[in-house]
Amino acid sequence: MVQINLPKNSEVQKGIYYQDKTGSKNIRKVNVYRWDPSNGKNPREDTYEVDMDNCPSKVLDILNKIKNEIDPSLAYRRSCAHGVCGSCAMNMDGKNGLACTKPHSEIEGDINIYPLPHLKVKKDLIGDLSGLYKQYESIEPWLKTNTKVETTEIIQSQKDRKKLDGAYECIMCACCSTSCPSYWWNEDKFLGPAVLLQAYRWIVDSRDDERKERLKKVADELKLYRCHTIMNCTNACPKGLNPAKAIAELKKMLATS
Amino acid sequence: MENNNPLSPHIQIYRWHISSLVSISHRITGIINIVAITIICFWIASLLLGENSYEFTKVFLNSILGKFIILGLTWSFSFQILSEIRHLIMDLGYGFELKVTKITGLIVIIGSFFLTILIYLIGKQFI
Repeated sequence: MVQINLPKNSEVQKGIYYQDKTGSKNIRKVNVYRWDPSNGKNPREDTYEVDMDNCPSKVLDILNKIKNEIDPSLAYRRSCAHGVCGSCAMNMDGKNGLACTKPHSEIEGDINIYPLPHLKVKKDLIGDLSGLYKQYESIEPWLKTNTKVETTEIIQSQKDRKKLDGAYECIMCACCSTSCPSYWWNEDKFLGPAVLLQAYRWIVDSRDDERKERLKKVADELKLYRCHTIMNCTNACPKGLNPAKAIAELKKMLATS
Repeated sequence: MENNNPLSPHIQIYRWHISSLVSISHRITGIINIVAITIICFWIASLLLGENSYEFTKVFLNSILGKFIILGLTWSFSFQILSEIRHLIMDLGYGFELKVTKITGLIVIIGSFFLTILIYLIGKQFI
């Protein structure tokens, strides 16, 4: 259901202000969403003054700096720091992206950092993505062959391989799905851009034998057609992919099949 | 067990861009248009009641408020038409590149005002 306001227990309150202790002249204010599961209080927004003279270029570097030098209690996911694993997906400056590939110089004014939107928060910047993973499982993201022998390579023409470009690069960081208002209001039914892009990836794979069954499965008023081409997904994708276009292609396949 | 963890902020913090603005406006103008069409139906039905009710609507529509409503509805219909054309093109699978969506979105927004003025000027010829 469409719910514009946050529930009572989710309203963000003013948090702690951490003043700079380094005496640096190049200071930036960084507002970070915090929620501690242990004390039953509402989420709050802490403000950190960060010395930018000794900070590398990405938003993740700021978070690392805060955690290492100012407040070790801050929790966030990160791993590869090279835009490959998708762990550090979060909302920065009102737009989803990977903290490790987003330069803080692109952000004007104070830097606002929130978890991915419309998720149950586990702690601080960590959102619960289990619903999305379940939906991912539901599209059975693996190769299904009935006819081909499993002991040899399945040959694919260059033309067929090309169809996977723009779909196989997805790292499932969930930036797109959690940026989508349709997904916010129908997260239990609508599959969302990330999962639909993957559904598309298996449907167009020439090696897969269950194209028809797969298409039939996503052909649902709520699973697929909740997409209203708002384009937040494509706008957010840190890998430059186009989930909105993949969804449009799915709709087209269904309309013409 | 029910999950009582807080919900992370969504529409409160998410930055708007042209495509999302056009999308939400498309919905809002859609609702306005449905209401407008209903009112227009009642208006036409009321003409059957004779001269008195015709004079009443005429006076109302010529007032400042009436003119504002007419212009507003003209814009809302203009916007809906242009945005719908954009949607139809997208349904054919074209215009999904970020730059193109920005340009087509701008065309819809700016074009809706131009179309309003155009309809206004054409309409004036008849009065």
